[in-house]
Amino acid sequence: MNEGNSKREILTPRERFGLLLIDENPDRCNIIPLITSHAAHIARIPLSKYYTDGKAMAQAQIIALEEYRHDALSFFSEVGIIAEAMGSDFDYPDDDLPVLKTPALTKRSLSSIDIPDPKNDKRLPVYLEALEYAYATVGDKIPLLAYVPAPFTTGMMLSVPNTFLIQTIRHPDLVHDIMKICLQAAIEFCYHIINAGGLPIIVDPLASSSVISPKAYEEFALPYERKLIDFLHRYDLDIILHICGETEPILELLPNTGADLISLDKVDISLALDKLSKKMRIVGNFDTSKIAFSSPSEIEKEAKEMVRKGMVSSKGYIPSTGCEVPIRTPIENVKAFINSSKEIAWYWD
Amino acid sequence: MYKDPKPKKITMDEWSVRFKNIDNKTIKKFVYYNNHDWGLYLQPPATFMVYGTRELRRLRFDNSLAALRMWGFVFNESERLFRARQSGKKIVATMGDLGTVSIIVMAFPDCIPFYPECIWWTPFFNESTVLLDLASELGAPEAACFSRAALAAFVKKAYFPKPDYIFASTGATCDDYSCIMQSIEHLGYDFMWLEVPLRRSPAKHVSMDSLVKTKNGFEYPRRFEEYLIKEYEKVWQKMVEITGIDDQNLLMVSIKKANQVRTLVEKIKRTTYQAGNAPFPALELMTIEFGNLYGYADMDEWIRILEMIYETIVERTKKNIGIISEDAIPIAWVNPTADPYLLDYVERIGLRVVDTEYVINQALVEIDEQIEPFRALAQSFMQASLIGSTAQRISSINKAMRTGKIEGILITNMLGGSHCAMETKLMERLLKDKPVLAIDVPAPFGITEQIKTRLQAFAEVLHERRK
Amino acid sequence: MELNPSDIPDTRLIGYTCPHIPIEILSSTGCKPYCLLHGDYALMQQGTRYARIDACPLVRANIAYVIENKSKFAALVGTTGCDMSRRMFDILGEHTRIPVYLMHMPRTDNRQIFSNEIDWLVKQLEYLSGEKITERLVREIESWETVRRIMRELDAKRMSRPTTLLTSDFHTAAQYYYKGEVNIPTTFSEKPSSKPRVYLIGSEVSYESGDFLRLLEDDLSIVGDFVCGLSRFLNISISEKNLSGIKEAYYNQPPCIYRRPNRVFYDHVAGQIKKRICDGIIGFTLDYCDSYEFELKKMEERFRLPLLRIRTDYSFQKISQLKTRITAFGEMLAP
Repeated sequence: MNEGNSKREILTPRERFGLLLIDENPDRCNIIPLITSHAAHIARIPLSKYYTDGKAMAQAQIIALEEYRHDALSFFSEVGIIAEAMGSDFDYPDDDLPVLKTPALTKRSLSSIDIPDPKNDKRLPVYLEALEYAYATVGDKIPLLAYVPAPFTTGMMLSVPNTFLIQTIRHPDLVHDIMKICLQAAIEFCYHIINAGGLPIIVDPLASSSVISPKAYEEFALPYERKLIDFLHRYDLDIILHICGETEPILELLPNTGADLISLDKVDISLALDKLSKKMRIVGNFDTSKIAFSSPSEIEKEAKEMVRKGMVSSKGYIPSTGCEVPIRTPIENVKAFINSSKEIAWYWD
Repeated sequence: MYKDPKPKKITMDEWSVRFKNIDNKTIKKFVYYNNHDWGLYLQPPATFMVYGTRELRRLRFDNSLAALRMWGFVFNESERLFRARQSGKKIVATMGDLGTVSIIVMAFPDCIPFYPECIWWTPFFNESTVLLDLASELGAPEAACFSRAALAAFVKKAYFPKPDYIFASTGATCDDYSCIMQSIEHLGYDFMWLEVPLRRSPAKHVSMDSLVKTKNGFEYPRRFEEYLIKEYEKVWQKMVEITGIDDQNLLMVSIKKANQVRTLVEKIKRTTYQAGNAPFPALELMTIEFGNLYGYADMDEWIRILEMIYETIVERTKKNIGIISEDAIPIAWVNPTADPYLLDYVERIGLRVVDTEYVINQALVEIDEQIEPFRALAQSFMQASLIGSTAQRISSINKAMRTGKIEGILITNMLGGSHCAMETKLMERLLKDKPVLAIDVPAPFGITEQIKTRLQAFAEVLHERRK
Repeated sequence: MELNPSDIPDTRLIGYTCPHIPIEILSSTGCKPYCLLHGDYALMQQGTRYARIDACPLVRANIAYVIENKSKFAALVGTTGCDMSRRMFDILGEHTRIPVYLMHMPRTDNRQIFSNEIDWLVKQLEYLSGEKITERLVREIESWETVRRIMRELDAKRMSRPTTLLTSDFHTAAQYYYKGEVNIPTTFSEKPSSKPRVYLIGSEVSYESGDFLRLLEDDLSIVGDFVCGLSRFLNISISEKNLSGIKEAYYNQPPCIYRRPNRVFYDHVAGQIKKRICDGIIGFTLDYCDSYEFELKKMEERFRLPLLRIRTDYSFQKISQLKTRITAFGEMLAP
């Protein structure tokens, strides 16, 4: 349990996470690299099995946990799951993630799209099954993070992406209509995730500044992120919002989402801390290309540097990767990240 | 505002569905410590399940808003204690006496007492051995009261903040928790130990003492009361030292508040137990009884919750609507169960709890407001469950059995618990030929078909006797 | 040389449980103070008719013993010392008509409670026996002080280096004391032993524990103990020959492990272990004896000596395994 550090870990990840959420310093930082589909690589199962078989997904996550001893499980494969349940078609390569084939709105009108039933439609039940399995198995010791695509990201997966982006300029009302139904779908999915024991984490990668302008973000993405988070706040859940890619141009907007924790990718951590750390807990943001391709010793050095900076965050800090750990990242590299973070991320003596 | 549906016990999933109909205004209406930033607590069971309270998936709950409010408040207690500390309040652990020292602590402004031993339910609610495993690692034997979870919680500092001070009562009471408290002291915590006297029946012929008679008819030598008064004075002095405040009028206020809770709970219990149809479930009622100890760390809000529950129960009683089958057999329950599931389960098999002996008699009796406060507290404590004889402990249940109000008795023990081991057979004898079922509550998630079968057989026997 | 119940002259007994109950007061009634230290396995099994299987084996055995021999007992005197032992008197009160006197033994340092309880006990026993106890105390104090002096001499032989007296022999002599007999045997074969020196701490050693002690002494020398049923009473020394003197002596003896806080217990035992130049410790616990079970880890930390944990229900069902463990412990301690 204490691999990579000499201090004794008294708390379980769940206890550690619980303290963070009530503004208490835990024994050490929660260390939560975004180990999603990479778990399939650790468990040596085909990716297609991972994202189509809930039990396999859960078992892969648990195997990864045993390997890495990180502080939360991450149930996720790709951002299309809600869009798929709403009618978009995806290809399932045997050893790669699903790929958008035919967006729903190219086949049917918006009015004919229903709010999906997460218990029955497409792969949403896979996630619920995975959560239920993991909750029954390790749910007393570790939080289960269930990634939910935010309305903007789902909306783009319902359409041909380029067309969708053009519509934000030419037909903003239509985009808002799409957002509304995507919001309902996300709420319904979150509702079931909660009942399965998962903590929804909202992911909106297609709303990053790598894809849309800050203005478009403020108009089309943020309000729906906010509404989704407002729904989750009715349950008094603390919500992580993850936006990968560039976020520097929208940093100051992020507190308006209402998210309690913000998971960032390509942004100077010092800048993010400066602008956000009094309002939100910071999650991030180790460069995923480095975790995939650098040497363990380089990773250790940089991770420590990142953690040192992050720990000054007054509302709390979670050392993490800026985005998902790339699927075939060497195990030693992920271990180097986790163990070196564990070495120095202590609040308690 | 949410309107209660027809009374019923519902699952966590059903509560989630109903929660959709609760508007934000209602959610924001209920707060602890009067704080609207972080004091919200009206959440469905699913919220607590997400944070690891796994047993909620198989429990059934009352479907009233009052019950939802109660559960939200109770499950929020850990957070509440941390928030109390963050907002500058003093956190004082009052261990072992279950119901009296907390009233003294509460008299001091911004001082929050709590009973760490109540964490014994956490391993069961969480279906987790995390706390019990660490307790074993720290030296607690496995055949001891589940309150050993408190020892681990003191090490983890994740379930309640490190207390500013600890009062630990020991003496003529159960050994298990005394040993646990000693182990906690070994960890380096600062303690004041308090002596709990024996409630010894006076000798028939020779007495060197004047006697006091409790409301339930037990006599004891007055000097035992005097010992307690001295102990309570020590507590007061320590609290004065900690807070710099010395105003005994505040103690009267605290006693009045405690009495307000005790009176309300008595009314809730009486109304529920005497109703033709059970208007409120046994698990919720046990939670209500234990609120008498310290109001789950916010006595004012707890009183408001109790008032709402009482209104709900009165309303249901007027309409003669119950939450379980009308022909459920009335039973008494002796010793609180560490696993809440049992209380839910017995109602599923046609039993109805109408009397309890949960080892906290001292927290249920009204405190005399007409006499000097420390004496009043001492007299209330002298009615404690575990400081007298077994015969005294079950005397009221025995009486109820004779009048036919109770048709069976269920005793829930813990393997190796000092009073459980010694009292059960004696209770069975004292209850003579009445049906008694004694079971050992197993470790978390350990309620097997075997235990269920025994409970079912017990229910069948009671139903057969009726015929 | 072991004392059997049938050997006790036909005097009625006052059964008692706790080393803080002054035997001088009990014997001043004309009865013999008889410590309830039965640990016979068969008795213990019988005791499960009255208390659950998870009750202390000693308590169960004594319940059975007293109920079987109820005509021998004029009274029973107990304390709130340990919870199971205290509740034993509830059971005995229900199953026999023997008068029961239960003293509140303070768990915290509270001399006043102890003093008042002794006064109370004296009054109760005076009424019961018709004897003026305070008038007979001097003789009884002298008599029992003599016994304790002799026992201390035996203890000195245990403690000497090399030790020359077996603790199993000490146990034989101590039985006389616990059974209210003043004529204790003093002659035992004395052989110097170079076996590893150990200190015995834990739950009560029963009258029937001779074989267990001999098993330990096959490989070890028990050179001291803090155990009811062995030498606890040696710490009682009455200087003022009256009731006040008794109170002082009985209150001032090193407290049990269940005194809160129990640091005086630890200080005393630490001092004894040093004084007796021990190589190791035997932590002896009865099943479900929380007072000791909870503390074994602390003892290891505090005393910093190898500690062999032996947990038993007084049966010898696992004797081969136990023998192997004791031998291995002895080998580990051997220089």
